[in-house]
Amino acid sequence: MDAVLLAQGALNGVMLGLSYALVALGLSLIFGIMRIVNFAHGEMFMLGGYVAFYLFGTFGINYFVTLALAVGIVGFIGVILEKFIFRPLTRRPEVAMTSLIAAVGLAWVFQMLAVICFGELDKDIPTAFKGIIRLGGVVLTWERFVAIMLGVALVVLLNLFLIKTKFGKAIRAVAEDKEAAALQGIQVNRISALSFGIGSGLAAAAGVIITSIFVVNPSIGGDVILKAFLVVILGGMGSTSGAMLGGLLLGFIESYGGLFFSVPVVSVITFALIIMILIVRPQGLLGRE
Amino acid sequence: MKKAVGYVCLVVILFLIPLFTQHEYILHILCLIGINIIFACSINAILNIGELNLAQAAFMGIGAYASTVLVMRLHLSFWVAMPLAMIVTAVISLLIGFLTLRFKGAYFLLFTFLFAELMRVLLSNFGIGIFGGIPGLTSIPKPSIRLGDLIVIDFSSKTAFYYLILTLVIFTVVVLRRVDKSRIGMIFEAIRQSDLLVESIGISTMKFKVLGCAIGCLFAGLSGSLYAHFVGIITPSDFAIHAVLAPIAYVVIGGIGNVFGPVIGTTTLMVLSNFFLRQFGFFELLLYGIVIVLIVRFMPEGIISIPRRFFGKRRIPDPEEVKTDGAS
Repeated sequence: MDAVLLAQGALNGVMLGLSYALVALGLSLIFGIMRIVNFAHGEMFMLGGYVAFYLFGTFGINYFVTLALAVGIVGFIGVILEKFIFRPLTRRPEVAMTSLIAAVGLAWVFQMLAVICFGELDKDIPTAFKGIIRLGGVVLTWERFVAIMLGVALVVLLNLFLIKTKFGKAIRAVAEDKEAAALQGIQVNRISALSFGIGSGLAAAAGVIITSIFVVNPSIGGDVILKAFLVVILGGMGSTSGAMLGGLLLGFIESYGGLFFSVPVVSVITFALIIMILIVRPQGLLGRE
Repeated sequence: MKKAVGYVCLVVILFLIPLFTQHEYILHILCLIGINIIFACSINAILNIGELNLAQAAFMGIGAYASTVLVMRLHLSFWVAMPLAMIVTAVISLLIGFLTLRFKGAYFLLFTFLFAELMRVLLSNFGIGIFGGIPGLTSIPKPSIRLGDLIVIDFSSKTAFYYLILTLVIFTVVVLRRVDKSRIGMIFEAIRQSDLLVESIGISTMKFKVLGCAIGCLFAGLSGSLYAHFVGIITPSDFAIHAVLAPIAYVVIGGIGNVFGPVIGTTTLMVLSNFFLRQFGFFELLLYGIVIVLIVRFMPEGIISIPRRFFGKRRIPDPEEVKTDGAS
């Protein structure tokens, strides 16, 4: 196995890992604030992909403007869902069950709406950045290079937002302790709407970035949510750095595993690894009790 | 007494249905509803210890595969294979239970999700000679009873299978109701409300949680075995994660906790979904999704709470509810 192949694998791993991390960060953020597992989160990724297909692919709007619009549009959908469906459910007992079912129902609705509005077939988004970069023997398309850079930028931005800004601090405070945060004058409802919006927006951003490299179709959300769950389990529920670490780890396992083993063997290895990690650290790698 | 008469009437009506309709389609749907009721009850049994098991479909799959492999590869009779499949499922659930029931809430949810995916990948790619890989196992034989040479009941007819399933649905509901009302059921309920409290009076919650999980999985195995022999084809993706989501919706929409919740929920939603399928075809899943979201949103206690809503006393507000309202 030569160094070039290993480096190539690493780059693919980083790209996959960052996109998994973006989706998982949103999922984790929403779980941290509202204590619900949002099964419809993958559909936000899918919607992001369709925004990219229509705005960038069909109407030719600038790639970065499309990305911002996708985050805005899908983020707004997230806020609406939080306000009218999930928030009322969190006021009742059995919220874990009811919110899960509501999210599953929503996922079906979004999938079917996508089939009806956009058709069942794969849609190919035109290449945004043509050409390749050569570093030694390693080949990287500009498209993938931009994807990696955008992933890093979004993760850094999110972390700065959570650490430095007032709203970010409020989000962390609510995740820590809802009542105590409310006593400090933080408007818990507004914060949970905000984090649902940001979480959904992040998934949409990942959708734009990834589907413009691959393709988008109505059922893509289901595959994405599976990966995001693995990442969240691996990294720890509600932990931002955990989602990052978990995402990258999963990206690397898949990328390198694919070099040496067949796909099912890679899945089994991934599961076995995650189960072993969980036996030692049930709360995930960076999660707290 | 009044209640008992009601139950007996209901059972008699259910047993008489095939006399009024021999329509294949209706009997087919009724059989599937019955299998799903057993499965939904098994999910509910685990909800009774306060956990939601996303791997429940995987346990149904274990039951289905165990029963099929016993019948097709080892040439056992269905009547031996079915109880054996239930036991196999329960034993595997004991092992998984000891591993996963240390976790609670969302962690348990995600761990069981992991197990469900693992099962699907294993069944699709390993032991293909026995389990058939991704295409699964086909032409699974229908059970039959041979009493001497004269009486042969062949369950390839939908009517006969309907009676078999109906009997087993009643068996499931009766057994689970018995468990609910027993001392063990009371401990389950106590664990659901506060496992710390139960632990503090010297009861090993772990032991009872594993037991509760095994009881649930026993019936998941039963539903799997019935499903395999009724439908005749099983594939690994029949028991993947998406296969458990609809039945969880049956339980939640019927009403969590009570044995009759899953029965009512399954019947209502499956009838509705088949109605949508026939009326609107393509749009079925869209309407179904909307209905589920609306019911959960506006009736989170399930259909079983309707009579109470209209005729019963006002619900006493939950302390949790008051607290969050005050905080917002």
